Amino acid sequence: MALIAALLLACGGMLGLCLGLERHYKQLWHRLPSPMLRRGLRGMGWVLLAASFAVSVHVWGWAMGPVAWFGLISLAGLSVAFLLPYSAR
Amino acid sequence: MKHKTLTQSMAWLHTWSGLIFGWLLFAIFLTGTLAVFDKEIDGWMRPEIPATSLSQSAAAQQALGYLARQHPQAKTWNIGLPGERSDTLTVSAGEQRRGGGTALDPRTGEPLAVRETAGGGFFFRFHFTLNLPRDLGIWTVGLAAMAMLVALISGIVIHKKFFKDFFTFRPAKGQRSWLDAHNATAVLVLPFHLMITYTGLVIFYLIYMPAAVDALFDGDRDNLGRALRGAPAEQQVRGERPTRSEAAELTALEPLLAEAERAMGPVSSLSIHNPGRSNARIEARPVLGNRIELTKGQSMLFDGVSGEVLRQPAVSRPSLLTQKVMAGLHFAQFGGYSMRWLYFVCGLASCAMLATGVVLFTVKRRRRHDGEGAVGALLYHIAERLNVTVVAGLMVACVAFLWANRLLPVELAQRGGWEVRVFFLVWLLSLGHAIIRPWRSAWREQLGLAAALCISLPALSLLGESLGDYLYLELTSVALGLLLAWPCWKLYQAPKERAPRRVGKQPVAQVN
Repeated sequence: MALIAALLLACGGMLGLCLGLERHYKQLWHRLPSPMLRRGLRGMGWVLLAASFAVSVHVWGWAMGPVAWFGLISLAGLSVAFLLPYSAR
Repeated sequence: MKHKTLTQSMAWLHTWSGLIFGWLLFAIFLTGTLAVFDKEIDGWMRPEIPATSLSQSAAAQQALGYLARQHPQAKTWNIGLPGERSDTLTVSAGEQRRGGGTALDPRTGEPLAVRETAGGGFFFRFHFTLNLPRDLGIWTVGLAAMAMLVALISGIVIHKKFFKDFFTFRPAKGQRSWLDAHNATAVLVLPFHLMITYTGLVIFYLIYMPAAVDALFDGDRDNLGRALRGAPAEQQVRGERPTRSEAAELTALEPLLAEAERAMGPVSSLSIHNPGRSNARIEARPVLGNRIELTKGQSMLFDGVSGEVLRQPAVSRPSLLTQKVMAGLHFAQFGGYSMRWLYFVCGLASCAMLATGVVLFTVKRRRRHDGEGAVGALLYHIAERLNVTVVAGLMVACVAFLWANRLLPVELAQRGGWEVRVFFLVWLLSLGHAIIRPWRSAWREQLGLAAALCISLPALSLLGESLGDYLYLELTSVALGLLLAWPCWKLYQAPKERAPRRVGKQPVAQVN
C-alpha cells in the first residue's frame, strides 16, 4: 500500500518536472507555458518527489528507504518518458 | 592520425566497448534479474513440494522426528526451514552441505520424491560465473562489469543534452527512437546501473584484489576472516573435546526459535550438534536480509539442553560492514517482496538499456554498413546475428530451461545437467537460426517463440501434479510474454506500413 503511495507520488513528481520543461508541455497542450506555470510545475514536482522520499523512509527506514526511493523515481521517470508521447496523440 | 576531440574518442570507446561487452552484459543482467526470484523459480521447478502454512517450529519438530528415526547416531543434524519465500523443508545429517539434503513433507515428516533439477540457482550461478569454471567466470564477469562502468561514464560524457533530453522519447522514428530509448533507460535508471555494477565488483573484492591478503596473511583466507571479525578464534563447536556426555532430552525448539527470531529476524536453518546428548548445541542462522548488510555466515548458538544463549550473533566492524552493506545492496535480500520487485523491474530496465544499445549499433549501420570499411561491414553482419542470438535467443533459452524442467522425464539420470544442456543447446540453435534467416525474420521468430513459451508457461502446471502455489510466478511469466509479443507484433507490421514511406524521402529502414 505504502509502496503504491510512494510510487504514485514519484510519478506525480516526475510528471511535474517533465511538464515543467517547455518541450514536453507543448507536446500535451500545444502551447508554451508561462514562466510562472513552468516554475510552479517544477516546484510541485520537487515537492512530490520529496513527499515520495518521506513515505519511502517512513516505510523502509533510513537505511533502505533511500535505496527504494531511487528505484521508485527511476521507474516513475521511465514510465513518464515512455507514456508521454502516446498520451500526446 | 587525425586529432580527435574528447567527445569523439569517448564515443568511439562507448560504441566498441559497449558492443563487445554489451552481449556479455546482457546475459549477465538478464540472468541476474531472474535470480532476484531464484527461490521462487526454484520452488516452481520442484512442483512435488506442497504449499504449507505450517509454523517453523512445527516444521522443525517434524524434521527432528525424521532425523531421530533415520539418523540417531549422527554427530550433527541440519534442518533447512521453510520461510516466506520457500515451502521447502530439508534435512541432512553430518557435515552441512550447501543445498543438499532430503526434502520432507512438513505435514507428515515423510521424505518427498522431488525431481532432480538444476533449480533456480542456475540463473544465480550463471549470473556471476557464466557457467564457466568458477574463478575464470568471476574474472570474466568482473571484466565485463569494469567495461560497464567505462560505458556508463563515457555514455554520460557523450550524451549531448543530459537534462534537456531527460524525458525525451520519440517513438516510430527509426534510429532516433532507438537512441531515445537507450538514453532514457540509461539516464533515468542511472542510479541503479551504477549501484548494481559497482557493488557487483565489491562482492568479490578478495578475488579481484588479492594483493593485500597475500602480503599480510600469506593468502590465508581464514586468518583474514578472523582478523576482519576482530575476534579471537571462535571456539569451534565441532572441534570440542568429546567430553563425557550422557543422554539428555533436547530443549523445546519453539522458544528457542522465537528467541533467535527476536535477535536476528526470521530463521532459515538450524544445526544441531551432538543431538540427544548433554553437550548438545543448537546453531540458528537467519535468512539473508533483515537489514541491508549481507548477513551470510552469521549465526547464534544455544545450549541444546537448557536452551540458553551461548553466543550472540557477531556485529561487523565498520570496514567489514561497509563491504557487507555493498554486497547486500547487490543481493537485494532486504526489504521483502516490494524491494525484490523494485530490483526486478530496475533489472529489466537495465536489460532494455543494454538491448537497445547493441541494437542501436546495427540500426545505425543497416543502411550503409560499409561506411567503416570492409572490417566494419563484416562486423555489422556479425553484430546483427549476435544481437538476435544474445537478446532474443537467450530469452528463448531461459524459458526453454524452465520448460525442460517439466518436460524431461522425471527418471532421467543427471536430470539437472540435462536441463542446463537444454539451455545451451537452445541458445546454440538460436545462433544457427539467426545465421540462416534474414535479420527481420530471425528477430520476429525468436521473439515470437520466447513470447509464446512465456505466455503458455502456466499450462505446464497441468502436466502431472504440482502442489505448490505459483500464481505470481505464472502471472509474471505471462506479463513478460506479452511484453515480448509487442516488439514481435511490431516487426510483423513494420514492412507493410513502411512501404509507401520508403517511396518518399525517408529511406531509413525502421524497426521497432
